[in-house]
Amino acid sequence: MATMDMAARGDSAKVLSPAALQRIPAQLIFRVVTGIAALVTFGLIFVMLFFLVVYAYPAIRFNGLEFLTSSIWNIGNQYGSGVTTRNGFTGAPGASFGALVFIFGSIVSALLTMVISVPLSLAVALSLVYTVPRRIRPLANALVELMAGIPSVVYGLWGLVVLVPWIANAFGPFVTSKLGWIPFLGGQIGSGNGLIASVFILSLMVIPIMVATTRDVILSQSNSIFEASMALGSSSWQAMTRAVLPSVRAGVVASILLAFGRAIGETMAVLMVCGAAINVFPQNIFSPVNTIAAVIVSQLESALTDSTGMAQRSLAELACVLFVITLIINVIARGIMRGADRAEGRKS
Amino acid sequence: MRKMLALALAGLVVACAGGGGRAFAGTNLLETGSTLLYPLMNLWVADYQKEHGDVQITTQGTGSGTGISQAIAGVAQIGASDAYLADAQMKNSPMLNIPLAISAQQINYNVPGLNNVHLNLSGPVLAGIYSGAIKTWDDAKIKAINKQYASKLPHLDIVPVHRADGSGDTFIFTQYLSKSTPSWSNGPGYGTTISWPSVSSAVGANGNPGMVQTCQNTKGCVAYVGVSFLDQAHKAGLGYAALQNKSGKFVLPTPQNVGAAAAALDKHTPQDERISLVFAPGANSYPIINYEYAIVNPKQQDGAKAAELKKFLDWALTKGQNSKYLGAVHFLPLPGSVVKMSQAQVNKIK
Repeated sequence: MATMDMAARGDSAKVLSPAALQRIPAQLIFRVVTGIAALVTFGLIFVMLFFLVVYAYPAIRFNGLEFLTSSIWNIGNQYGSGVTTRNGFTGAPGASFGALVFIFGSIVSALLTMVISVPLSLAVALSLVYTVPRRIRPLANALVELMAGIPSVVYGLWGLVVLVPWIANAFGPFVTSKLGWIPFLGGQIGSGNGLIASVFILSLMVIPIMVATTRDVILSQSNSIFEASMALGSSSWQAMTRAVLPSVRAGVVASILLAFGRAIGETMAVLMVCGAAINVFPQNIFSPVNTIAAVIVSQLESALTDSTGMAQRSLAELACVLFVITLIINVIARGIMRGADRAEGRKS
Repeated sequence: MRKMLALALAGLVVACAGGGGRAFAGTNLLETGSTLLYPLMNLWVADYQKEHGDVQITTQGTGSGTGISQAIAGVAQIGASDAYLADAQMKNSPMLNIPLAISAQQINYNVPGLNNVHLNLSGPVLAGIYSGAIKTWDDAKIKAINKQYASKLPHLDIVPVHRADGSGDTFIFTQYLSKSTPSWSNGPGYGTTISWPSVSSAVGANGNPGMVQTCQNTKGCVAYVGVSFLDQAHKAGLGYAALQNKSGKFVLPTPQNVGAAAAALDKHTPQDERISLVFAPGANSYPIINYEYAIVNPKQQDGAKAAELKKFLDWALTKGQNSKYLGAVHFLPLPGSVVKMSQAQVNKIK
């Protein structure tokens, strides 16, 4: 495209040849179409956020800062008389919406998921590229891609039927008896629905995605870094960790953030195993939690019957918060990528 | 999960019905809402359509809240709901609340060694459990109402399970706590979703199947489950409690006791039939029962649909009360006087 660009400009500076005339409209159309496509993409995000904020505005005023600091979520007494009025906006009597429990649950479950899945994914990606025997590689790659494509409710159902009872009856008792002295690993196990169940399910869901993206990034680097490092006498472990991984740092960070975004936004699978905590923070890794995405789904049904509409609008405000968190993650991701690119640029 | 799927399907069905691209020439009706009523609606509709080939009724289990809002929006002709509309909602959008059947709710528990007997539980004890004041099964307050099993009650943590999604079952369960326990009434109160007290062991589960599944997984659990899931709860090996009624007697959700509670309140049912049947008076009245409602807009947009809607509801209130339909989901027929009131409401549909 760059050469075409230069050619077009060079031609138009001189006398326009018939061939150039033919080329310019194509160039124009291409630019206009891609420009519109770019605007639509950008515009869609803007329009979505705009409508979300407009819809949530009464809730933003009604809830104030308490939305981010309070841990009590109460849609109010739908069958009571009167209303609660704050800042000129009304909710059902006794209504107060604090999202701290859900924000905490979203962030903590996504972070713990990263703690488990980042090292595992890196290990799997590296072994897929360097150590898995060539004959098995296509099969292993196909399996990873298959796992990445499984719908989330399937993971959720498996989690509810298999994983949750296993946590309640085997994993939980084992951890609390052997490692219970470590903070947040001891205490009540409860039903098995909870933080650790969500984290395990989320890890299962994001590991294939991270493996696939990291593997592609490593493959895009030529094999020469690995081979050069080996030639200099390093072990394959040293070659992978000291030479290959640093060279693909930006790509790896991007895939981690992609996975984080997926983990924090996952709804159905989490809803099925998280234990849907409300008004209470987890006491240990087995305690029920709740996430923003899950609570929007589970509370929608009752919010629909709120005659003041404030419950629905507060759910929209929750959606705004999730939107903002995702946006922040993306901005950080871009910043890291750019920083890494610049650092690499200086080196070369 | 089924709810989401149903929501997506609802849109599709509406789009198809509106498109006029169907080969079916008769009238289409859409019923959506309560997952407790859904199995009964399917039994009803299957037989009704054998007699009436000119009407096509689509049924959906989407949850009471969706049913109510889609009936108000005019998307569905029947919004099935376990709860009647609140005054504030009636003011915004006056709808008919037409009882179709009587349902009940059992309190299931999973206490090893005691699942084959019926422990006694009361409103104040359940309120204590759900607010975190009563923490273990050998608590003195539980022993006091279960003297015959006092030595067998284990020192086991209680895990109170509640619905994570909005639910008519939460509505009637919290009504029982509110009516029997002043501190609950002044605190969390009742509704299809409530602000549950902060209890770290409390678990939220999705739908009645999720309640049964979670309770089965969890030793020490207590859960409220719609009576149409009695068979599933039994298969899961869970026990169910005898509940203390207004007269102080502990009673089981047998058809006789549920019927006694319904009979105690049929005379008190107002013309618009919005009444709670929970904590009914009477020596044998089972304390957690409710009317299952069809929420219907009295002013239908389409005359032909209104006529077919009236015919179907009238059939449900007469032939539909047969125990071959209701018995399959452990519902009970409406008392005669209530059927008359429901029919009077059906006649208001225009």
